[in-house]
Amino acid sequence: MPSSQTPPAGATAVDPTAVRPPIDDARIIRTSPEHVRAELVALKADGFAMLLDLGGVDYPERTPRFDVVYHLLRGLATAQPERVRVLCGVDGPEPTLPSVCDLWPSANWAEREVFDLFGVRFAGHPDLKRIQLPDEWVGHPLRKDYPLRGPALERTPRPSFALKSNVAAGTPAFGKTAAALQRQIVAARSGEPPKDGPA
Amino acid sequence: MSVTDTPLPLAMDVVERSDNRMVLSMGPQHPSTHGVLQVITEIEGETVVNAEPVIGYLHTGIEKSAENLFWTQASTVVERMDYLSPLSNAMAYVLGVEKLLGVTDLVPRRAQQLRILLCELSRIASHCVWLGTGGIDLGAISGFFYCFDLRERILDLNEFSGGARMHPNYLRIGGLRDDIPAGFLDKVDDLIKMYYPRMRELRALLQKNPILQDRMIDVGILNADDAIAWGVTGPSLRAAGVAYDVRKAFPYSGYEQLDFDIPTRTEGDAYARFLVRLDEMDQSMSIIEQIRENLEGGPVMVADTKFAPPPKETIAVSMEALIHHFKYVSESFRVPPGDVYSPVEGPRGETGYYLVSNGDNRPWRVRTRPASLYNLQVLKKIAVGEFIADMVVMIGSLDPVFGEVDR
Repeated sequence: MPSSQTPPAGATAVDPTAVRPPIDDARIIRTSPEHVRAELVALKADGFAMLLDLGGVDYPERTPRFDVVYHLLRGLATAQPERVRVLCGVDGPEPTLPSVCDLWPSANWAEREVFDLFGVRFAGHPDLKRIQLPDEWVGHPLRKDYPLRGPALERTPRPSFALKSNVAAGTPAFGKTAAALQRQIVAARSGEPPKDGPA
Repeated sequence: MSVTDTPLPLAMDVVERSDNRMVLSMGPQHPSTHGVLQVITEIEGETVVNAEPVIGYLHTGIEKSAENLFWTQASTVVERMDYLSPLSNAMAYVLGVEKLLGVTDLVPRRAQQLRILLCELSRIASHCVWLGTGGIDLGAISGFFYCFDLRERILDLNEFSGGARMHPNYLRIGGLRDDIPAGFLDKVDDLIKMYYPRMRELRALLQKNPILQDRMIDVGILNADDAIAWGVTGPSLRAAGVAYDVRKAFPYSGYEQLDFDIPTRTEGDAYARFLVRLDEMDQSMSIIEQIRENLEGGPVMVADTKFAPPPKETIAVSMEALIHHFKYVSESFRVPPGDVYSPVEGPRGETGYYLVSNGDNRPWRVRTRPASLYNLQVLKKIAVGEFIADMVVMIGSLDPVFGEVDR
């Protein structure tokens, strides 16, 4: 159900990262697929030794459609640790970014996960294949156009259930009918045994 | 030896490569993989020359589910990720949403203190599972019962405060669902009283056990540079000598006012990780004692009824309270557009949430930085050159939780 509250200024933003409130959680760098590799190499040389996280976001109404988000950390055990967030927009029918597995080995599984769930490819990844979903899966579930649920499956009674005597006696496969249930409730309340009737 | 880049076959059976080299699949149904982990190992004799953990057997699409729930409802599903320490996930999530809403400073002090208290209890409970099951992996079965006894007492506290043993959903955006019930602090006192003797017993039983020491010392060595490069955080990183703890590095909720140490060791082997976790439990208990001493009174939820359901007793007498309650439950609230990265120190390391709001009443994206995923990934690095029998030691010492790895 969509909200009926008065939307705040800039509501349902197409690009939320552009209108973010001033939260001091990381230094933010926005870059493009051509420059992301050079940017990350420079950041690593600058001391950002840990790739904290690598994830994706899908903004279907925006161009470029996907954001790949890198969180880097430096000065881990010092008094002034620093975090940086690199946002890289990527678009196209087969969105592709350069892999950073050689810079940070921790990117290996993270890039596979972004590929698996968003369909963003990473050129130069040693083993780019699905990680969470089975290899034969079709589609990328964290894309916004991927449905939350598939079509409802036809409910068929289990074979063991079909053999039970009440099924043979004509009771519906999913238990009692509403009328039979009602009779049972009335009987329980009045203290009399339920009258027989159609199930 | 180093990690080879050639991908291994997805073998479920033993594959003979040559006379004394074969590919062996361990798991996914293996009692000592702490969940559904498959490790495809290439072994030469007894020595592992290549190992590839295969994950995804427990993928439940929690991030997708969270995007389709209200901001207030998503805190229930994120608790299911790290199911051994649900409160640290909830903590990272609610802190992130509060930052987006700009109400971080409005959260009452008592709520923040109680959150820390519960998170530290949850850390001890989680380490109890690691210690108990990790001991079983190595054949030390008796320790398990003592650990789970301690854990049960903490879960009883969870149930007493939040109503559920494992996923209480007690932390809410803006504070806590309710104040703690009467008698809760007495039970915390009882726990503090029984904790130290119990830990002395456990240390006598496990830490100084020569068999366990033989199995763990110099096994699965991870040095500091590798740990940083592979994104390892938490006790596994601190056992390698890097004193990085989110509670100290980026303090939240008032951790900066508490007096505690970051246990660190330099060996980087499984035994160092074992000792760091044991010391961490003691530090957590010291934090709990400090909170217990200095717990402030007052409300446990922000006053603004846009973000907090109004108190139950006002609903029957106030029209506005009833309307606010109805709005809060039926369509939650809108969160200003923006993105935020909100980390906390969970029992396994840095649990972070990258939250994106487009201004609607549902999150646009809930990305988790799963500590276990990165910690487990390093297995293919540290397992090389070790005995295949030590694989269970290394998996146990990394302490992965598969709800969080696969999400």
